[in-house]
Amino acid sequence: MRYSSMFRLRKLSRLQRFLAAGLILALLSVGALGTVAAQSSPLHPTFPFLDADGQNVLESGQPVSTMETCGACHDTAFISEHSFHTDVGLSEMMPPGQTSSGRPWDTSPGLFGRWNPLTYRFLSPEGDERIDMTTAEWVSTFGVRHAGGGPAEIGQNGQPLTDLPVYKGDPETHIVDPGTGELIPWDWEESGTVEMNCFLCHTQEPNNDARIEALHDGQFRWANTATLLGTGIVDQVGDQWTWNETAFDDEGSLLENAITIQGPTSGNCAQCHGLVHVESETPLALSGCTPEQWSTITTGQIVSPQRISDSGMNISAKEDLGRSWDVHAERVIDCTDCHHSLNNPVYFQESDESQPDHLTFDPRRIDHGEYLYRPLHQFAKGQSAQGSLAPELDNTARRCESCHNIEETHDWLPYKERHIDAVSCESCHIPELYAPSRQYIDWTVLKPDGSAVAGCRGIEEEGETFSSMLITPYKPALLPRENSDGSTSLAPYNLLTSWFWIYGDPERPVPQRDLEAAWLDGDEYHPEILSLFDKNDDGQLDSSELVIDSGEKETLIASRLAAAGLDNPRIASEIQTYSINHNVTHGDWVTKDCRTCHGSDSLVTQPVKLSDRIPGQRLPTFVGDDSVAAEGSIFADEAGDLYYQLETGEANLYVLGHDSVNLVDWLGSFIFIATILGVVTHGGLRLFMSRRNLTAHEPELQGVYMYSVYERLWHWLQTLVIFVLLFTGLIIHKPDKFGVFSFSYVVQVHNIMALILVLNAALAAFYHFASGEIQQFLPRPRGFFDQAFAQAKFYLHGIFRGAEHPFEKTPQRKMNPLQQVTYFAILNILLPLQILTGLFMWGAQRWPDIVASMGGLPFLAPLHTLVSWLFASFIILHVYLTTTGHEPLASIKGMIMGWDEVEVHGHEAPSTAGD
Amino acid sequence: MKDFKYIWVIGLVVTLLIVIVPILLFVSREAEAEEDPWHFLPERVPHVDHTDLMTGPYESGPDVTRACLECHEDAAHEVTETVHWTWESEPVMLEGRDQPITIGKKNSINNFCIGIQGNWTGCTRCHAGYGWEDADFDFSNEENVDCLVCHEQTGTYTKSNSGLPSEGVDLAVVAQSVGMPTRTNCGSCHFNGGGGNAVKHGDLDGSLFFPTENIDVHMGRHDFQCVDCHLTENHEVEGHLISVSADDHSDLACTSCHDESLHEDERITAHLDAIACQTCHVPEGAVRQATKMDWDWSTAGQDLPEDPHEYLKIKGSFVYEQNFMPDYAWFNGKADRYILGDKIDPTVSTVLNQPRGDIHDREAKIWPFKVHTANQPYDPNYNHLLQPKTVGEGGYWTEFDWDMAARLGAEAAGIEYSGEVGFAPTEMYWVLSHMVVSKEEALQCHDCHSEDGRMDWEALGYYGDPIRWGGRSQTIGLNK
Repeated sequence: MRYSSMFRLRKLSRLQRFLAAGLILALLSVGALGTVAAQSSPLHPTFPFLDADGQNVLESGQPVSTMETCGACHDTAFISEHSFHTDVGLSEMMPPGQTSSGRPWDTSPGLFGRWNPLTYRFLSPEGDERIDMTTAEWVSTFGVRHAGGGPAEIGQNGQPLTDLPVYKGDPETHIVDPGTGELIPWDWEESGTVEMNCFLCHTQEPNNDARIEALHDGQFRWANTATLLGTGIVDQVGDQWTWNETAFDDEGSLLENAITIQGPTSGNCAQCHGLVHVESETPLALSGCTPEQWSTITTGQIVSPQRISDSGMNISAKEDLGRSWDVHAERVIDCTDCHHSLNNPVYFQESDESQPDHLTFDPRRIDHGEYLYRPLHQFAKGQSAQGSLAPELDNTARRCESCHNIEETHDWLPYKERHIDAVSCESCHIPELYAPSRQYIDWTVLKPDGSAVAGCRGIEEEGETFSSMLITPYKPALLPRENSDGSTSLAPYNLLTSWFWIYGDPERPVPQRDLEAAWLDGDEYHPEILSLFDKNDDGQLDSSELVIDSGEKETLIASRLAAAGLDNPRIASEIQTYSINHNVTHGDWVTKDCRTCHGSDSLVTQPVKLSDRIPGQRLPTFVGDDSVAAEGSIFADEAGDLYYQLETGEANLYVLGHDSVNLVDWLGSFIFIATILGVVTHGGLRLFMSRRNLTAHEPELQGVYMYSVYERLWHWLQTLVIFVLLFTGLIIHKPDKFGVFSFSYVVQVHNIMALILVLNAALAAFYHFASGEIQQFLPRPRGFFDQAFAQAKFYLHGIFRGAEHPFEKTPQRKMNPLQQVTYFAILNILLPLQILTGLFMWGAQRWPDIVASMGGLPFLAPLHTLVSWLFASFIILHVYLTTTGHEPLASIKGMIMGWDEVEVHGHEAPSTAGD
Repeated sequence: MKDFKYIWVIGLVVTLLIVIVPILLFVSREAEAEEDPWHFLPERVPHVDHTDLMTGPYESGPDVTRACLECHEDAAHEVTETVHWTWESEPVMLEGRDQPITIGKKNSINNFCIGIQGNWTGCTRCHAGYGWEDADFDFSNEENVDCLVCHEQTGTYTKSNSGLPSEGVDLAVVAQSVGMPTRTNCGSCHFNGGGGNAVKHGDLDGSLFFPTENIDVHMGRHDFQCVDCHLTENHEVEGHLISVSADDHSDLACTSCHDESLHEDERITAHLDAIACQTCHVPEGAVRQATKMDWDWSTAGQDLPEDPHEYLKIKGSFVYEQNFMPDYAWFNGKADRYILGDKIDPTVSTVLNQPRGDIHDREAKIWPFKVHTANQPYDPNYNHLLQPKTVGEGGYWTEFDWDMAARLGAEAAGIEYSGEVGFAPTEMYWVLSHMVVSKEEALQCHDCHSEDGRMDWEALGYYGDPIRWGGRSQTIGLNK
């Protein structure tokens, strides 16, 4: 079916339309004449079909009224008043430009009044000069995906549409003449209105095609009746609908075996929300990247238990895709198991706000009878970017964690709680989508059939036949989602970018008929358009030529639009994000490799292709109410393709292994290398000088027991642990350079080492305090500067000349003032800093609020990195300086065996007393 | 301590321990490596070329056997102890009977060609021996063991009446080719059960000679030979089928190689309590070549157009089916067996080998079966099934006389015959264990748990679909 013809009234006369439709339907219904539906619902009692006046349809011949018929037992007034499937924004209508979307022409958050570039037509607000679409046309076109009732029955002021007085220019009671653009009156009495259509969701095989025909034809009153075509209860011949008396018993009630009332199945939901495929025998096949299956075209989701490798689609590497499209569908879960009616006693749970702490489960609820009388048709919903309708019901659906035990199953994941907080389940459990989805739609140009140029993610370009094109799975963009509890987590999305002409002030999208008039002359392009756009002079414009990529082209179209009376036509662009929550997978198919995100090629910051064109050089902006905190940049590459890329810093994210502060790394490595150079120079000079035998001083040495067993143990343990920490830390910081290591393993080792470090340091601190050895580390203020100076002079000058050490090591005073100061800084500043930053980085999962108030990982991690560079430099320095004793390796040996070499001084008798 | 020379060694060890022990204790590794199923495959004996060893010439089959026995002294004796030779089980006590009985091809009947007694010359074409032409075959004569049928690798060896090598077979060439038995060896008999390719088993037919991995993942993808699973020691081949064996003493199972806990998904593991591996992993029988599902002997003998898949004058009319969905039944490894002479009720279908077990039996699981139905001769006065003589003189296949066939057959089989032949419906269950599909093709949830699922829950003893009504434990009581 032509894309645009779905949403356009045909230009035949009414009679011609009815005859054409009727002929087709007659052929269809011939087979159904006299037959009665095969299966029966065992429990639902029989009932008469009543019309809007309460009369049995067998007598009046009128269309069935679901409100009256079903209303005999169920409170249909309650049902239709409490259903956002019916309301679709009618009760939330507001003056244009005040909706959460931010668009100046939206009048509600729902299907009735909120614009979508895929469908393009918009419900013109009252007062607009140029009307695009009125209520009647909305019912006829958008009503296809509407459950009836609401705006298809009631006007914006609450009165039934049939009762509205006809004022000139009132969109609610007129329809736009496609030829002239003028408003002509619409007779609601004649067309009737559409009540909430119970049959669409509650019968086994609703005839949605017949219902759509009736809506397209303006036969609104018969739309619900048409849904029953094929069941044998009603037949249609040409223009006439007749109720089949053989389907009813003598009292005028439906025969029992004709009752096919059931709870809604996934197949019912699929009629509007598509695509759902539950037959296991037939391979799933898509007919194209078409808008008939809304969920599929906007996200690439397909709900089916079938294995992808068993489908009939031309997907790249399909043989290896032994996973099901959707694991929940595979496990025989229906839409209504998660998206249940909010007062269904099976699923009902008291809200957290009112539930007292002492109760986990309250068994008190309405009983089945009460539920059947007043089933709330407010269905549990999640919180999707595109689901702007009924935000008060957001997050009423079960989330993953209300069914799944996440704790047990994710034991293998380090920082499990942190991941669960920062990353939504879907991010890893919906790693790829295997059906094509819309990528962009360009309404600034028009194809000869009146449709826009559109691009699909996953297929190269829309060619001759869909089945020949290769579908490549795409990885959804991971963007931060603002959850209802205030937290933010990454979630998968499809980004759908659109370009379109707007005009006037306040802005409005240019109506489709005006676009067509500007571009087309019947079925052909206007000559001046053809000449300007036709690059290869073949007399046709293909998708690559149909793009406004120059000022000249923009001016041409704009001037044509202006000439048609549109004030200041210009190009606008927007990105609508679509949440992805279905097509969940499990097991080996889930993202489990740490490096998917923790690496320089992180999925989090992957550039997401938005389109292969930038019409009018307009960069798009995100729609206002998608609760996506999209902090990133939109840029074009050399080929002219448009990309979006999330910037982790701006989104207040810090992904270990991917993010780093360049300054810190440069500074740190500079200090490190400078230290090495200094040490090499100093040592080289010493070596050189000693070869030249310029040493004047040959000291007499004596062995002294300098370091106790414990002191040596804690020193070397600290050494080993710090080495491992530095090494593992480096791998965590730059995992791509150390690909051979398992990221997850390294992270766990790092944490364990850190714990050992802390314990070791704490025990050593206790030892030093308890034994009084701590005195060694405290620089004496008196004479401090003099001694420090002397020591410095020795290192910078004296040591090269073999001068006497200004300070002699004894077991009571093992460190010179410079050492004392250094260790003081290390042990009281650097070490605590490193421990604390590390502790709080780990603690981000346990005390998220405290850590967030410190600045979170974006602050803690770079600081941790800087200090680790300093530690690394210290180690170089420290090891070198141990060679500045009398014998180069004496101190090291001393730290291993305990005995150091000390110079015998005349005036200072070294103590040989042991520890 | 101060002067201990090797204090540094102690220090090093202690330091390393303090670091390594916590890592080993607390770092979670990837899932443990499972037992590798390849570990359980038998070692293939390296091939010994017999070209110079079996020079021949050989006049007869037993000549060849004698030559084999020059080196393989015990081989023939080993064979004579197995059912490939005896065609009869050890005496076994079956439930409902007072005496142990033996069953096997030698003395039992099925609902295909029915029985071998009286028909030896034809039926023993598939005997692993030479010359079993009548009831007096000497089972102790080891030289009659047919080594070639299992071991020859030329593909030119065929057996004819009474199991003797066919005319024109060059026994020397054949003898020189001997090696480990391959699918071609086993299949030359087992694929042709019931009188032709793919007739009998439903999961064994000629497509398994060189199958693709879509037909059978073990034989196709990994080129398994029969003996890789049917482990053989001293010529005793593991495995049994409830058509000719009554108990499961020689059982082999998927779990002989595959770890029971190999399913990552707990939900699937939970199914193992009630479902056999084959149920999900053998979703269809006879995937490439149609198998016989029904055999109506009563229509035999008419001069109608013949087609081996529809009607033959000697046998009657058949129904063949390919890629059929198995029947599912509880099975605990044992089955009842119809013994010649047992009474039947001709108004209902007699199950010749009813699998034992039900939902209450904790040993029983749901298995896939091919159920072969037939309409076969019985004696309406004695109310027992008859075993007609079909082969040879007086046999039905030459005389087309049911009375003669029944009388001669009854004599050979040692059962009564009143003089009247009727036809009674029977069924046989054939377990499907071959044609295992790869795990990507195994059944999915909705194949059973859906509106048009494979299982008849109520017939199996459940209240309804276990997803909604509860599984076996909830059906029979949690503490049983």
